[in-house]
Formats: sequence, C-alpha cells, structure tokens
Amino acid sequence: MTAPEMMSHDTAAELLPWLVNDSLAAGEREAVRKHATSCVICRRELAQLETLRAAIVPVDDPDTSAAPDMRRINARIDALVAGETAGSLLLAKMRDWFGNPWRVAFLAQTAALVALVAFWPQLEGTEPEYTTLTEPQILPRGHYVRIVFDPTLDAAAISTLLESTPLSIASGPSARGVYTLRFAEDTAPTDRAAIVAALHGTPGVLFVQPVSGDEEK
Amino acid sequence: MTPRHSSESAAGTETAPDRTLLAAVRARDRRAFAVLYRRYHPRLHGYLRRLLPNPVFADEIVDDVMFVVWKDARRFRGQSAVSSWIFGIAYRKAMSAIRKEGRYQAPLDRGADADAVAAGSSQDSELLRAGLARLSADHRQVLELTYFCGFSYREIAEIADCPINTVKTRMFHARRRLKHLLPILAGDAKEDERDRA
Repeated sequence: MTAPEMMSHDTAAELLPWLVNDSLAAGEREAVRKHATSCVICRRELAQLETLRAAIVPVDDPDTSAAPDMRRINARIDALVAGETAGSLLLAKMRDWFGNPWRVAFLAQTAALVALVAFWPQLEGTEPEYTTLTEPQILPRGHYVRIVFDPTLDAAAISTLLESTPLSIASGPSARGVYTLRFAEDTAPTDRAAIVAALHGTPGVLFVQPVSGDEEK
Repeated sequence: MTPRHSSESAAGTETAPDRTLLAAVRARDRRAFAVLYRRYHPRLHGYLRRLLPNPVFADEIVDDVMFVVWKDARRFRGQSAVSSWIFGIAYRKAMSAIRKEGRYQAPLDRGADADAVAAGSSQDSELLRAGLARLSADHRQVLELTYFCGFSYREIAEIADCPINTVKTRMFHARRRLKHLLPILAGDAKEDERDRA
C-alpha cells in the first residue's frame, strides 16, 4: 500500500475491528477511515463492531481498585527462591571444592586413568565366554581334531562312533559343543588323514578340523 | 540468587516502564515484581474471567501466569512488548484450561432475543456476551484480546503465536458466527446483503 486511497474494500473490512479499538498504525487508520467514509457496508459494519466492543468492555468485573492479594504468589516465589538458593549454595561449595572448570576436567581425567589402570588386569584376564574352532588353545604335544557332533547325538552314540577310531576325547564339549579329540600316539600320518576324511562323511558329524598340539598354542 | 527487597531499587517505582520492571525481575527484584503484578492483575483477571470455563479460577491462573513471569523473566528477548509476552503466557494458560474443562456456555435464550432487542442496549449486551460464550476458544480469544485488552492484530499474532492473517481470519469468522447467533447483528447483516445486491 502506497497511499491511503488505494486500500481495497476487503483489506479495509478486515481491519475494521482494530479501527474500533484504535490500535491501527497511523497510515492504516487513515486509509481505513477514508475507505469507510465512502463505503456504506463498512460504515454499517463499524456500527456493529462498536456495539460488540461496548458489550465486551464493561463486563461486571469485581472491584479491581484494591491492591490484589499477593500472599499466595509470594509464598510460591519464596519456595522457589529457597530452592534456588539451596542449589546455588551447593554449586558454590562444589566450585570451592573443585576450583575452576579446567581443574574439574583434570580431576575427572585423572580419575578415569586411575580406574583404567586398576581394572586393566581384570580386563586382560577375562576368559571369553565361548571358544571358536580356530581359537588358539594350549594343547600337549600330539595330534588332535576339533569336532562338532550333531546335538541330537548322546554320549553313548558319540562313544560308539569313536570306538572304531584311534581317537579319544581330550576335552569338551565347550559351551558351543566343540570336542577336542586326541589321536593315539602311534597313529600314522596317512591314517590320521584318512580318519579325518572319513569323519567328514560320517552322519552325525557337523565339523572336523585337524589341530597340532605342540605346547605352544 | 538472593531476591532483592530493596526499597531503593529504581525499577520498583510505580511509574517505571514494563521493560525496566521486567529487567529488574530478571535480577530477582521482588519490589519490581510487585509493581508489575499490581499493574497487570486487573487486565489479566478480567481477560481470564471472561474466557475460563470456571471464572472462579481466574485469580489462581493470574498467579500461575505471574509466577511464570518471575521464573522465566530471563527468557524474554525483548522482541515484543512486555504486555504481549505476559498475555501470551495467559493465552496459553487459558487455552489449556479450556481444553481441560470444556468451554463455558452461557444460556442463550432464543425467546428472549426479541425482548432484549426491544428493551434496549443493556440486554443487547447480555445477549452479546452470551453469544461470545458460544464461540470457539480461538475466535473468542481474538475478540477479547481486541476489545477487552485493546491489542492490535500484530500483538494478538504475537500473543497467540500465529500469523497475522490467521488473526484476521479468526476475527472474520468470529464476527460471522456472532451475526448468525444474534439477530441484533444479523438484522443489520441482511441490510448489508441488500446493499451489496
């Protein structure tokens, strides 16, 4: 809008409520008034809005000349301030204790380092909760296989299966069902290979892996 | 922070501008807060009393509003008038109460309409107030903020946290609804229609 006379009827009509409460900016006020002088619809609307304003303004409010009672809000603020003050005192004590923020950071870092050093041996020595087939394991000198049987095979069935071989159970089963079987010392290398190959094709055997025990692994 | 009750506070004077008082409230000046409270209590009370489903809670909600003013004074950024900020808090409290308890509806006796028109302006006012009570909360708020509180449409947009055009639209619909409800306004509207034709 560049000049009051350019205000459209629609724009003027929607601003009429605020012409009535005298809150329009000077330019808008003049433009709306100018429009209303030549627009019978807006003049009628203005009269209706005056009626409306008059109905709203003089509602029978209780006497507000007396000072309002502030006891309730003062009590609420007192409680809030007491809490804030207690919090501030605690913060101040903590500040005295720890000094400046850099000092706090240094103390925190030192504490973290001390905790790390204290718990390092435990972290190092923690046994894994499970073993894998390829996991290094200390075994006495000899020849072994790691083997996983079908979980439906019971101990008797496993014994029967191993009866015809020079294998005996060295350890197991692990939590994952892995057995370590040891070849009899006099088993020839070709026989070991043949037995491993045969086990691969044996029903009830899910996995077979030859392993050398040399006291180092 | 320890509150200040100091009588020497410049902000504590009755004539200090709102912004000065609020700055002092931010610094926990209880005397400045008391001045601000006394200054806003009548307007807030009247505004809330009209809008609340149960007007007897107006005092309590004025306290709620002013407690927020004390607590959150530092959040006032100074981008609006202090009055818009305070009434914005009151607006949200009122809307929340209306949503919880439902809108208060004064009885609108259709049979009495004609009598009231004939009897004169005091009964017209009664009818208009009954009509106002039947408006939606959004529409009612715009009318009350305009005519009871005297806010501009820009200030109402700040208070209601909505675009200016939304304020104008709400006012338009509020007026139309009132004309539909109240023959004393609708009668004139019919004349308007004739004029347009």
